[in-house]
Amino acid sequence: MNRRHINLIAKKEIAGLSSEKTIVFAILLQVFIAMFSSFLMVGLTAMYDPESIEGYSTVTYRVGYAGAESPLIDQFAKRDDLILYRMDLGEALAALRERMVSAVVYVPDTPPDAEDPVTVTLYLIQNDLQSGVVNVKIKEVLQDYEEQLREIRADRLIYSPVELNFPDSGGGESFFEFVYGLLIPLLVFLPAIVSAALIIDLITEEYQRQTLETLLSTPITFTEVIWGKIAACEVLVPLQAGAWLILLWLNGIPVNNVMAILLHVSTSGLVLILLGALVALHYRERTSAQFIFSTALVVVFLFVMAVPYNPLNLIVRLAVDSIGPTHWLVLALVAAATALLGWAITVYARRVGEKSP
Amino acid sequence: MSLLSSIRTIAIWEIKRSMSTMGKGILPLAVVLLLLLVLVTAFAAESGLHLQDGMYRIGVDDPDTARIVASDTRFVTYLDDGASLRENRFSYDIVIINGEVYAVDTDKGRAALNTLERDYESYVASVAAAEPDLFAAYPLWIDLQYVKSEIDFLATQSGQQVGAPVETKRPPTPSLPVEEVTPPSQGKLTTEEELREHLIESGDGQPLKRYTSLISGESTTDRLLTPSELSPPLPFDTIILVFVFIFPLYFTSQFFMMSVMNERVGRAGEALLSAPVRQAAIVVGKALPYFTIMILIAAAITLFARAPLTILLPLIPVILFFLANALIIGMTSRSFKELSFISIFFSTIATSYLFFPTVFANTHVISIVSPLTLVVLAIQGDGFTAMEYLYSTALFFATSIILFYVGIANFREEHLFSERRLTSRVVDFISTGISRNHPHLSLFLLAAFMIPFVFMAEMLTLVLFFNIPMPLSLLLLTLTAAVIEEFAKSIGLYAIARDRPGFLTVKNLLIGATVTGLGFLVGEKLLLFATLAQITESIFGSILFLSLQALWMPLLLHIAGVLITGGFLLLGGRRAYAPGIVAAGIVHSLYNLYFIGGMLL
Repeated sequence: MNRRHINLIAKKEIAGLSSEKTIVFAILLQVFIAMFSSFLMVGLTAMYDPESIEGYSTVTYRVGYAGAESPLIDQFAKRDDLILYRMDLGEALAALRERMVSAVVYVPDTPPDAEDPVTVTLYLIQNDLQSGVVNVKIKEVLQDYEEQLREIRADRLIYSPVELNFPDSGGGESFFEFVYGLLIPLLVFLPAIVSAALIIDLITEEYQRQTLETLLSTPITFTEVIWGKIAACEVLVPLQAGAWLILLWLNGIPVNNVMAILLHVSTSGLVLILLGALVALHYRERTSAQFIFSTALVVVFLFVMAVPYNPLNLIVRLAVDSIGPTHWLVLALVAAATALLGWAITVYARRVGEKSP
Repeated sequence: MSLLSSIRTIAIWEIKRSMSTMGKGILPLAVVLLLLLVLVTAFAAESGLHLQDGMYRIGVDDPDTARIVASDTRFVTYLDDGASLRENRFSYDIVIINGEVYAVDTDKGRAALNTLERDYESYVASVAAAEPDLFAAYPLWIDLQYVKSEIDFLATQSGQQVGAPVETKRPPTPSLPVEEVTPPSQGKLTTEEELREHLIESGDGQPLKRYTSLISGESTTDRLLTPSELSPPLPFDTIILVFVFIFPLYFTSQFFMMSVMNERVGRAGEALLSAPVRQAAIVVGKALPYFTIMILIAAAITLFARAPLTILLPLIPVILFFLANALIIGMTSRSFKELSFISIFFSTIATSYLFFPTVFANTHVISIVSPLTLVVLAIQGDGFTAMEYLYSTALFFATSIILFYVGIANFREEHLFSERRLTSRVVDFISTGISRNHPHLSLFLLAAFMIPFVFMAEMLTLVLFFNIPMPLSLLLLTLTAAVIEEFAKSIGLYAIARDRPGFLTVKNLLIGATVTGLGFLVGEKLLLFATLAQITESIFGSILFLSLQALWMPLLLHIAGVLITGGFLLLGGRRAYAPGIVAAGIVHSLYNLYFIGGMLL
């Protein structure tokens, strides 16, 4: 194989990509997804942690209370964001339907130390953003009440769990796990998947448009053509993944160990690209190749995710800086697998090239 | 040959051909992959998904405490004595010494603390569930009941904040007549055994269960909950619907896209085009098998999920929309890679357009712009009215029919096999729609037909700018809406200017601008009054569709916009098109801002 020939092919493919402006679509897509996920996050944070959004903190919610007198009333009195109104149940429910109250609780006359549990009925408006906020607040009240009831009935308990004292965390759902444990590995791996789909397009196109003969009439061999295309696709992976990381950083989400992450994505991405190339060489027709490849992709991803210390997991660990040098070992293993696949491609391409020059 | 029989011939031919290309070697490998998928799924179920393994490091001084987090793979646990834990506390995210939990004061530390608290809760629950006296351990049970609100979301509709900010001592009195309600019965609703079983089950913390129960229509309201089980309804539950329903449909539409593309590769479709059938028959015949397959897939998923079959109705326009776009993308892309990128781009946009409004299902009128909201409503058992169906699907039907029409009109040799750039091909397509004999009538119709696309694009900008702080989001929305509208209005003139430069005289420009403005206004009115009247009442709606109040003002604005762009085209040629749109967009936004300013002040 001649490195200059491979470079030539790779340059030709990248020039093709930029002249068709398809790369513009890729960039637009990135920006769009970034905006969309930031929408999701702001929207969801507002829902789960209403206090984090200014303006919500002053809002009080009205709760209708019906049924028997109970210590729950005192629990509600401790909150300044919930106002309790003693009402008749029918009236309270009618008010709820008209959104004059945000929730209704009905408390039975079960004494706190009874044999039976206290079964409180909680009425909320179905599938409503406001219900979500109120739900969180009332849950806290009810948990305090549960604690109180448990203490009253404590002498009937046998087991005692290990006691842990938590510091006051300020509460609230954080999206740390969503961002670092799901969004980042997905976004960083997206370019690898796109590149793998791209190699199929590049290879099948030569067959279906019958441009291969012209290309092979030059001193460039078939194997070099394939490796040139692979190189073009591979270059895009760290570039796009890097762009993602920069976008995340601009959004105030810092990622640790950027270089190591890019190395992992490039290596694993190369595995996917080589797989794509193999499928494309076998079918030489886009519909079949893409169909088989996307099905295979599901299998591969599911399998990889089920293995501990998989590359996706390593990206998560690297991003939150929770791993020592162990990840280099995995990288070496993946690189070895890549080399093996690369050798297989070379042999296969040479055979295909000899058969149909 | 009649149209119907030729459609049938083409459809059968399409099935046979795709069978022969796909059949070669695909089937055995597909079967192998399917088997592998089953195996891998079993393996994954056995081993669990290791995506978030080892995110947090936790230092513990007591083996009993370590057991609490032992099953949570997100934690890497280090067992050490208290003194050395204290010394190395900065290499851990959480340290537990003598039952006291210390967390690092970073986002990561707080997230780890949250996770630990949840683990601890389920640990306590598992201990308590073993108590012989269950009702001493769980003295409080919640019977959660959902009530449907009868007010039509007036508060959120006008952009107001949710909640009831007025504080009064007196309880509110409902204005509607109060029905007599029997208080909930206080007998044990479920037996102790059932509750215990349920506690152990929910201790597993399977997040996926939430989704499987959503699909199978199970509700959590039919049993009692402990207070810690109360969780707010996840708004993105519906995203699972996107994956379950939309993804297979999108995937199938890819085959249609590829079939259209294959006709163009190496002029393969020449034989088809020379057959004695109409273009409409070719396009419809080719699309028909895919449409049928997509309907069957959707029906199969529906039956599998045991959902009502009425959800197929809102899916039909979605299927048509996918097919129409697949047709256009297949007809316009120059190469396979262009096809891939455009279709990925399109699918992302379409998916978010479908998904985003469903977040607000039942809350905000905007949710009805997505047919998927109707699917959510139907699965909830609420159903939807014919009017709602019309509201949410009209845009999809309208755009699909227009796109199909464009595709059919352009399914001709000179357009299919041309190697021009994407943008100029799109202009080609539009230019086909402009009649040589009645250019003004064509411009009028073109402007009217652009409306559904303009609305869709503007809805999308609403999605994008939703989370930006208020004055800025209004400004951006105004600007982009103006530019989108100006672009849509002037595209016809641009197509004429390119293909028939002699046409663009001052007189023709004046007439053209007038008919375009008129067409745009008529289309806008028709669609607005037919479908989106509700949205126009919210504050965002009033920006997008400001031009409702008086008729002559918006008409003048629309005409002026086209005149500005047209003037740029007339004077500066096609290169002045982009500056022309910007100029017209600025004028348009100034007009809108002036009115919003007046409205808000």
